[in-house]
Amino acid sequence: MKNFATKASEKLNWIVERFVALLMLLLVLDVWLGVMDRYIFHWQLPWPEVLARYLMIWAALLAISAGIARREHIGLSILLDRVPKFLRRTCLFSVDIFTFCLFAFLCWYGIDFANGGSSRQAMIFDMTLAMPFAAIPVSAAIAALQVLFVAFRDQGQVMTHTNDEVMQ
Amino acid sequence: GPKVLKFGHDNKMDPFENPAHACTAVFANIVEADTNGSIEVEVYPSNQLGSAKEHVQLVRDNVIQATLTSTGAISSYYPRIDVLNLAFAFDHNAATYDVFDGPFGAALSKDIEETVSGVKVLGFPDTGGFFAVTNSKHAIKNLEDFKGIRVRTMTLPSHQKIIQSLGGEAYPLAWGEVYSGLQTGVIDGQMNPVPTISFAKFAEVQKYMTLTNHLFAPYTFMVSKAFWDDLTADEQRVLNYAANSCVVASRGLSRVIEASDRGLAGLKDKIEVTALSAESRDQFKAAAQPVVLKHIEETLGAEGVALLGIFQKELGNANTRSYLK
Amino acid sequence: MIVGIAFVVLVLIGMPIGFALGLAGVLGLIDMGGGSFLALAPSRMFNGLNIFPFLAMPFFILAGEIMNHTGITHRLVSLAQTLVGHFRGGLAHTNMLASVFFAGLTGAATADAAAFGKTLVPAMVKRGYSRDYACAVTAAGSIIGPTIPPSGLMVVYGSLMGVSIGGLFAAGILPGLLICFVCMVVIAIGVKANNLPEADKRASFREFLTIFKSSILALFMPVIILGGILGGIVTPTEAASIAVAYALFIGVFVYRSISVPDFIGMLIRTARITGVIFVIIAFAAILGWWLSFNRIPQELAQAIVSISDNKYIIIALIIGMLLAVGMVMDITAILILLAPVLVPLTEQVGLNPIHAGIIFVLALNISLMTPPVGACLFVLSSVTGEKLEKIAAKLWPFLIAEVAILFIFAFWEDLALALPRMLGFA
Ligand code: NA
Ligand code: NA
Repeated sequence: MKNFATKASEKLNWIVERFVALLMLLLVLDVWLGVMDRYIFHWQLPWPEVLARYLMIWAALLAISAGIARREHIGLSILLDRVPKFLRRTCLFSVDIFTFCLFAFLCWYGIDFANGGSSRQAMIFDMTLAMPFAAIPVSAAIAALQVLFVAFRDQGQVMTHTNDEVMQ
Repeated sequence: GPKVLKFGHDNKMDPFENPAHACTAVFANIVEADTNGSIEVEVYPSNQLGSAKEHVQLVRDNVIQATLTSTGAISSYYPRIDVLNLAFAFDHNAATYDVFDGPFGAALSKDIEETVSGVKVLGFPDTGGFFAVTNSKHAIKNLEDFKGIRVRTMTLPSHQKIIQSLGGEAYPLAWGEVYSGLQTGVIDGQMNPVPTISFAKFAEVQKYMTLTNHLFAPYTFMVSKAFWDDLTADEQRVLNYAANSCVVASRGLSRVIEASDRGLAGLKDKIEVTALSAESRDQFKAAAQPVVLKHIEETLGAEGVALLGIFQKELGNANTRSYLK
Repeated sequence: MIVGIAFVVLVLIGMPIGFALGLAGVLGLIDMGGGSFLALAPSRMFNGLNIFPFLAMPFFILAGEIMNHTGITHRLVSLAQTLVGHFRGGLAHTNMLASVFFAGLTGAATADAAAFGKTLVPAMVKRGYSRDYACAVTAAGSIIGPTIPPSGLMVVYGSLMGVSIGGLFAAGILPGLLICFVCMVVIAIGVKANNLPEADKRASFREFLTIFKSSILALFMPVIILGGILGGIVTPTEAASIAVAYALFIGVFVYRSISVPDFIGMLIRTARITGVIFVIIAFAAILGWWLSFNRIPQELAQAIVSISDNKYIIIALIIGMLLAVGMVMDITAILILLAPVLVPLTEQVGLNPIHAGIIFVLALNISLMTPPVGACLFVLSSVTGEKLEKIAAKLWPFLIAEVAILFIFAFWEDLALALPRMLGFA
């Protein structure tokens, strides 16, 4: 169980992180293009500003699951440092389960939200808002999956992953 | 207990400051008084419950019961609102009253109700009047002056096309960056209704303003269909005439603001104001209208063209009609 | 009420602050009757993030990542050391001054805390400083980063409240420098009490010049950013993308130390850090909606006004509230939840928007290092392994000094607006 969870978490996160890197790269290029358009090309492109917002939201929301995989979302340990080990493990494991519930909930309602977006216009590329809105259910689903993996990987024994590079 | 009507909008709370809050204040007063308190109106100004676009969804879901939504905010739900972006459509303010209170307003509200399910349209209040163009380069008096001026527009193809058809360059920029963009010269100019130009303090960072009057974009006053259907016939009648008064109040206050220090009168000291001559206006209209008409035909299909037909017919009547005749 | 209790309990059993905010918000929506209210959650999250100026955050983080990779942090520390290393407690002073240099590269305090916690704290311990003291100095200095531009928090504040971000950037420079100065005074006063090591040998002018030359390109970054804005080339948000371009240029062509895999790693780390911040913003947007719908902010504002209508008392109350809430809540969440209530109060008493903005930003930055919830303390504690409460125990003299600076800037408008006025923002 633990081994499977560890492997699954790693695999999922490897894919998510590469995809997120690609989105970030597109985001940087998109904003540069917007600036250059005003001074060099004069194409008066309507989409760089809008696209930048959507890319940013997709990248940041997908990255939530990466933060979960590496336990970068920091919580307070003041109380947990003072309770018996068993209780601490129980608390941390339940926190993971609560977190799973939160993201599962967001995924469920996020699907409706994205569906609602399909009847609304995004004003760029002739597309509907389904694509941008889908960032919520997709990233929530991945986060829910990831938190389940790390819950069984760490089994209440890890709170925050101490990794200074990560904090940078 | 009383039925609660939660009314959200995106303007500030002072009823003497902007048409939106004035409109809600007038509406709330009449509704509460005339229903003898069977309906209570709670107003949430300043986007407290989310963006203008979210307000529309909240009304559809009956989480809130009413909102005033701008043409920009409703466009993702109802793309045919783009018909209103026919540039230089109205000759004067009074024509806007006629058009939105008449057959076109009725057709538009029906079309909105059918397209955006879950809402009932009660009217089209004024947002503060016609659009003007400001810039920092030189006074714009004719088409030649527009050449090469970089104007900020909303991310709205029709708005970009209008500026481009006049010879300017159009760049969408987030609203929050317009002031500093104008200040530093990232862009040369922008277009908005006069009261917006005033409260956004654009006169501090712009030298010239031309009263192009090229666009008029009213609010759409919508209530939740579920809420509406739940009202008694009497209550519906009260809401209807209260909305009518709200629209009238928004128009009155818009004209008053324009004439006050918060409008044109106040701007005149800070920025060089130019009104278009009749010839220039004809030139502008001739340059812009065909481009927008083509854009509407290409993007909005037969239904859009039909709505446009009603719009143009009513415009013809309203622009030529003279007061009390 | 139930929402507040749920939040506190969740945080106490170790739930990350961001997730606890989200769950509390969702519980609030359930408490209101579920149904359409629940459907609001995803919409609020999306719209809470759908704000163009927020882009500045990932970009400033990315620029900092790139700069850091070039080894510039070490150069900046060396530069500070040649300037103040020869005082008693030289490394503590160095830490402070290096924070000022580093501030131009970073938009977040946690970046400073992590970088210095990793490098300077061990160096200080080796030199004979106690670890808790070294951490306290680093924490105190870390808030200079988001005070001197660029600053992610200023971008969020400016875009949410409609205040000139360039103006806020300009207003941050002076308090940032003054915080460094008073903290160095605190270090000097505490030399004996903390038994700080004796002075090092003073660096020669030649040594200084060598190091200065090798770090000048990094010191130039804030000039590029402000210059890009003031020169009309980019908007304040786009300026962050210029910072990325500049950092990349230096990293690739000058220091030649960035490979493609390096860059991919930086993009991933940037996204992860952004994700940690953005999830808090998105979830705070749910909770904030619940508060607004129940008219809690208005009641709070009325409570403040009912105490007094004196301008200075209201400012002091606002600062007190920000610092108090800052002890138990993440600062971005505070900004989203409280600023819409408190900022109109500052308008009522006639405060200049940039002045009000800098008061908010300073108070929230200070909250980054107040226990128990303080992002900089979290980072330092996890990077160095020092206990949070031991760091906090050594921190209070610095805290008092920084709060004093905050009050000076809050009450002295001419000082707070001196630079923004000079640069034409106010
Ligand atoms: Na900074
Ligand atoms: Na704190």
